[in-house]
Amino acid sequence: MSLKSRERAVGVSLQHLHKDFADKVALEDVNLEIEPGTFLVLLGPSGSGKTTLLRCLAGIERPTSGEITIGGTVVASARAFVPPERRGLAMVFQDYALWPHLSVRKNVAYPLRTSSRAKSQRDERVDDLLERVGIAHLAERFPNQLSGGEQQRVALARALAADAGLILFDEPLSNLDADRRDQLRVEIATLTRATGATVVYITHDQSEAFALADRVGVLNQGRLVQIDTPEAIYRSPANAFVARFTGVAGEFPVTVVDECGPAHYEVALPFAPDERIEALALERFEPGDSMSLFVRAAGVSLAVTGSAKGTHGTILDVAFTSRGYEHVVSVGEGATLSKVFAPTRFDRGSRVQVCFDASSCFVMDPTKGK
Amino acid sequence: MNFSTQTKGALRSRITAVTLVITVASLSLLNVTAGAAANPGFVLYSAQGYDKATVTAFNATHPGFTVTLNDNSTGPLLQQIQAEGNNPKWGALWVDGATAFAELDLKGMLVKHSVPKVSFNTLGKANIPADGSFTPTGLTVTGALCYDSSQISASQLPNTWEQLAEPQYQGLGMNDPSQSGPTFPLIAGVMNYLGKFKSGSPAKAVAVGKSYFTSLYQNGLTVNATNGPTIGAMEGQQIKMAIIQSSACYAAEINGSFPSMRVKYLDSSIALPGVIGIDAKQPAIVRADAQKFVDWLMTPKGQHAMQTGDPTGDSLYWPVLNGIAPANKVIPALSTTHAITIDPYVWGPLETSINSWFDANIANG
Amino acid sequence: MSLVSQLMATSSPSGLDAKRRFSLGGVAIWVVLALLIIAPVMSFLILAVSPRAFQQGSQWFTLRFVSEAFRGYTGRGIADSLWVSTLVSVLAVGLATTLAWLIHRTNVLGRRVWSIAMWILLIMPSWMMTLGWTDLLQPFGAAHALGINTRWIYGEFFGPFGIIIVLTTVALPFAYFIVSAGLQGLGPEYEDAARIHGASRTRMLRTVLPIIAPALLSAIAISFAETMSDFGVAFTLGYHSHFPLATYTLFSAISTYPANFSVAAVIAVVLILSTIPLIALQSKVMRSRSYAVLSGRTRSVRRREFRRGPRIAATLGVSLFFFIVLGVPILGALVGSFVENLGIYSARGVHFTLTYYQQVLSPSIGGKSLGAPLIESNQLGLVVASCTGVLAVVLARRLVASSGGWSQRVTDVFLLGSVAVPGVVLGVGYIFFYNLSFITHNVINIYKTLPLLMLALVASSLPGQTRFMAGPVSQIQPSLNEAARVHGAGRLRAWQTTNLPLMSRILLWGWLLTFTKTISELAIAQILYPPSQEPASVTIQAYLANLQPGTGTAMTVLTLLEMLGVIVVAMFLYRLLTPRGWRRVGWSGVQS
Repeated sequence: MSLKSRERAVGVSLQHLHKDFADKVALEDVNLEIEPGTFLVLLGPSGSGKTTLLRCLAGIERPTSGEITIGGTVVASARAFVPPERRGLAMVFQDYALWPHLSVRKNVAYPLRTSSRAKSQRDERVDDLLERVGIAHLAERFPNQLSGGEQQRVALARALAADAGLILFDEPLSNLDADRRDQLRVEIATLTRATGATVVYITHDQSEAFALADRVGVLNQGRLVQIDTPEAIYRSPANAFVARFTGVAGEFPVTVVDECGPAHYEVALPFAPDERIEALALERFEPGDSMSLFVRAAGVSLAVTGSAKGTHGTILDVAFTSRGYEHVVSVGEGATLSKVFAPTRFDRGSRVQVCFDASSCFVMDPTKGK
Repeated sequence: MNFSTQTKGALRSRITAVTLVITVASLSLLNVTAGAAANPGFVLYSAQGYDKATVTAFNATHPGFTVTLNDNSTGPLLQQIQAEGNNPKWGALWVDGATAFAELDLKGMLVKHSVPKVSFNTLGKANIPADGSFTPTGLTVTGALCYDSSQISASQLPNTWEQLAEPQYQGLGMNDPSQSGPTFPLIAGVMNYLGKFKSGSPAKAVAVGKSYFTSLYQNGLTVNATNGPTIGAMEGQQIKMAIIQSSACYAAEINGSFPSMRVKYLDSSIALPGVIGIDAKQPAIVRADAQKFVDWLMTPKGQHAMQTGDPTGDSLYWPVLNGIAPANKVIPALSTTHAITIDPYVWGPLETSINSWFDANIANG
Repeated sequence: MSLVSQLMATSSPSGLDAKRRFSLGGVAIWVVLALLIIAPVMSFLILAVSPRAFQQGSQWFTLRFVSEAFRGYTGRGIADSLWVSTLVSVLAVGLATTLAWLIHRTNVLGRRVWSIAMWILLIMPSWMMTLGWTDLLQPFGAAHALGINTRWIYGEFFGPFGIIIVLTTVALPFAYFIVSAGLQGLGPEYEDAARIHGASRTRMLRTVLPIIAPALLSAIAISFAETMSDFGVAFTLGYHSHFPLATYTLFSAISTYPANFSVAAVIAVVLILSTIPLIALQSKVMRSRSYAVLSGRTRSVRRREFRRGPRIAATLGVSLFFFIVLGVPILGALVGSFVENLGIYSARGVHFTLTYYQQVLSPSIGGKSLGAPLIESNQLGLVVASCTGVLAVVLARRLVASSGGWSQRVTDVFLLGSVAVPGVVLGVGYIFFYNLSFITHNVINIYKTLPLLMLALVASSLPGQTRFMAGPVSQIQPSLNEAARVHGAGRLRAWQTTNLPLMSRILLWGWLLTFTKTISELAIAQILYPPSQEPASVTIQAYLANLQPGTGTAMTVLTLLEMLGVIVVAMFLYRLLTPRGWRRVGWSGVQS
């Protein structure tokens, strides 16, 4: 089955995609190439245009200009528009979109209605999917008798039933409780990859995005700001917005001191002018420039005072996690770092040494990417 | 589950099919009737209770003709005629009361000299206009004093219109002229009679009439929409007597719905002819057909159809032809009614203003 | 793209058809509306200032009739109608909300019965209601026949007091169904949230009510419009009580000969314009909110469980209400049909008799039978209800599509204003328009045919039914349709498999409502029925008006029974024809 599906997987291409609504611009000159079989996650805050982009892909929304190609066929352009039912897609919606008058079985079987298979084959496939998604025991129930997690599973089964080359996910986990979310996320990841289809998945949750994606595209105010592997984005955010949105422990204004290596700069903290921190930079700066330092949580470590080189800091809060402790540390006025991990506990109010790892600190112009 | 779905499916399609067939059948039925109305020829607009019987009889004895009957109450008929404006569909109009016809004639909408050459009696002749634009087919009388003999006896009733306005005669009812066709002629007739109108301007007579009705109103006059509610009010003992159309009173007495109903005629009552007139704007062939119908109505056969067509209702009229007697013995001799005829050409044009005055001051005051 | 699928445009804001704003489907709709409603009504209304337009006067433009209409007793009629309609709509919505809450959200007994009773109340025409009340309350009426003295209430009843009561009961079912549909979307979580944050019961109600505010406003608007245009009550009770209402004065103006169509037109314009403030208010409230609450996630509502005492009290209260509002007039009409010469004082006492029913079944010479007219009325009902149903769905979708802005507002005003048009205006307007030589010679010649009556009846039911459906249609989650499209269904199939099932019940009830309304409709029928094709309502009225109220009442009872029979058959067919899943999605109809 996987072999066939890998053949089915389609590539997607967006060229100069533009979408206006009456009161605002939702998408601005978006260009995107998706290789067949990729699991792409579009990440962005609300209003960033990710939903609009997904809906344009699905054919539920018509772009104002630009071109969309799915599997080599132009589905939307100035001249052509292929309606959703002919694009060979499947989609999982945020509100599940299960038809209340159909049983779970019939919901899942819906995409198969137009297929050329014999009825017994269709029934078999439905049973198989229900089994795979773990809802076989709910086959005759109706959506309003199911919990949120169960409903989303049904939606997933339905999307898989379509055997589509491109599956779209519209923030499918945002309406679920935390523990269900993790469970379902894993199922989405494994089941869709088993089919080999191309996936476009949108979310505003950074950790979800990074956990699922082969590639992540970050959207802000209708523009595609950066698209790369999760690791690359984490390690080299393109601008301040991407850095912020993909998880910073802290951000504070600094003064650039000097270049100290290829793409490395030394910066001085305003409240500790003698201390220097090394950080990465994507652009050139001049000594004396006022920029911001973005610090990833992974790039901060704590040590007992005096034991290591680093900035002084005070522990504001500590929280126990199963593998250790997360701290909120203050290194100066208005400069706090959160989610700082340490295997041992530092109590609230204690003074610590805060060490920064250059590869996880970025100096950037804070105004860019706004 | 599969099996029951299949059977249910088969049943479902069968029923769907049946429903579809019924719908289609109804639709086609309607379509057929639409086609049939494409060329109606002579259409008779009539409010008379015996119109169906007379038309049926006419069509039966005149093969090759078909009179299409548009039967309705007088109000809607006149609304239709007025709304049809310059593109009229009516071939002839047949209702009680000549005032509407006078109006139509003044607008040039009636065929003149259409009165059949037969032997009319005195009151018949009195109701034929000078230009012969409409024909009286029968006569009823309005302004008859109908009373409930179980509530009030004949000796307790007034004898004249003037007496009727006296304080001792309470519990009087009448109809609303804007709802009840025969009522405007009643009002006009009372104005005519009390104002001693002969010719010229009726203004003085109108003034006399208005003050008369005002005094009736002050004496407790109750106004209801039409004969039905008025008689109903009498049955419910809200009123004891009413000045309405004679045929309504006789009908109530005969059909058993109001056995204690009796009729008295005051010093005068107003003749209310049933009138038929032909539309001048129709093509010649339609006018010719209409004329044939009118001519036939005034023959003994036509009159017989009229008198037997609605024996407990409109058939209770006085014939306007010599040699024909009323249909029912309960109808007294016409002379006992002291009926007078009003000139529709004088009073017709005043109908709107008098009715409005009446509605504003007497009916809804 | 087929015309039908174009007409079924989705309701997403700038969805699949954003580019085709001036689509063929949109134009077709307005052409149909123009032919059905706009042209005939405007033909009448234009006479308000231009009598010469349809040969009703000599002037091409005058304001004489405008001033005439606002003076005298037509002026009084307008003023009376305005304040009565306002009062009635507030009362009706208040009562409706209470009843809807009791029936749908508590454990009051007999819920199914009350829902059915409300439907019966809805289908009964107002003239049947007043007939029943009159038969009951008149001196020596049915109450007397049953040994109850009602003289004391009779005088009160035939006055503003009685008029307001009967008009409220006439408007009540409309308000009830709209509010019920609105309550559907009010999940228990809202009440819970308010209560948990310390709100007292009244405070909680005040917090929660705004959520159903659009439903309440819609209900008030419809009740107002229906009351303004009501004819049955105005004609019977209004007349007797010397309390003229605008519809009655309108009717009077055109009942003299020559009719004063111009004054009538001014009154009609006032009736229509009076609905605008309500629409403006409603639009303002609804503007930026989403009321799409019906989807697979909607859970069945939770009921408030009364304890035994309050439960009995509530049940008794509702029973008493329906007894007064429905049982009494029905009883009055039934007795009127079975008692000899009801209303006549008879020393021999009260006689029960079957003569009236006998007269209906075998009419005397010169009398009319009920058979053929009733069959015709049923056929008309069938065709009119079906056509109206289809058109109403299409219009409701357009109305609900939040692509909004002025075009939606215009449609809304148009639809509600049309509800306020009295039937007689529509009827006469049809004569004006469809008897124009230009039309009869060049377009279509259907004046004085059954199809014309059919069109007029569709026109008269369409606005009301569209608004009736707009609420439920707006509650359908757009993503359900989108999901179908994405998973391979074409536009029509997606609509058939997703929207249609969710709307099936509301479609059924809309159909039944129009069906019964068509049978009982009087004003339009009376002025447009073709020669020799008299519908049942006209036949009944002839008997009621012509000294044979017993037979007329018997005919009324039989017609009402027949309509109920059709409803039962239709519901049976619905159960038979629809998949089980369709019936799970309940609108508040009979299933609570």
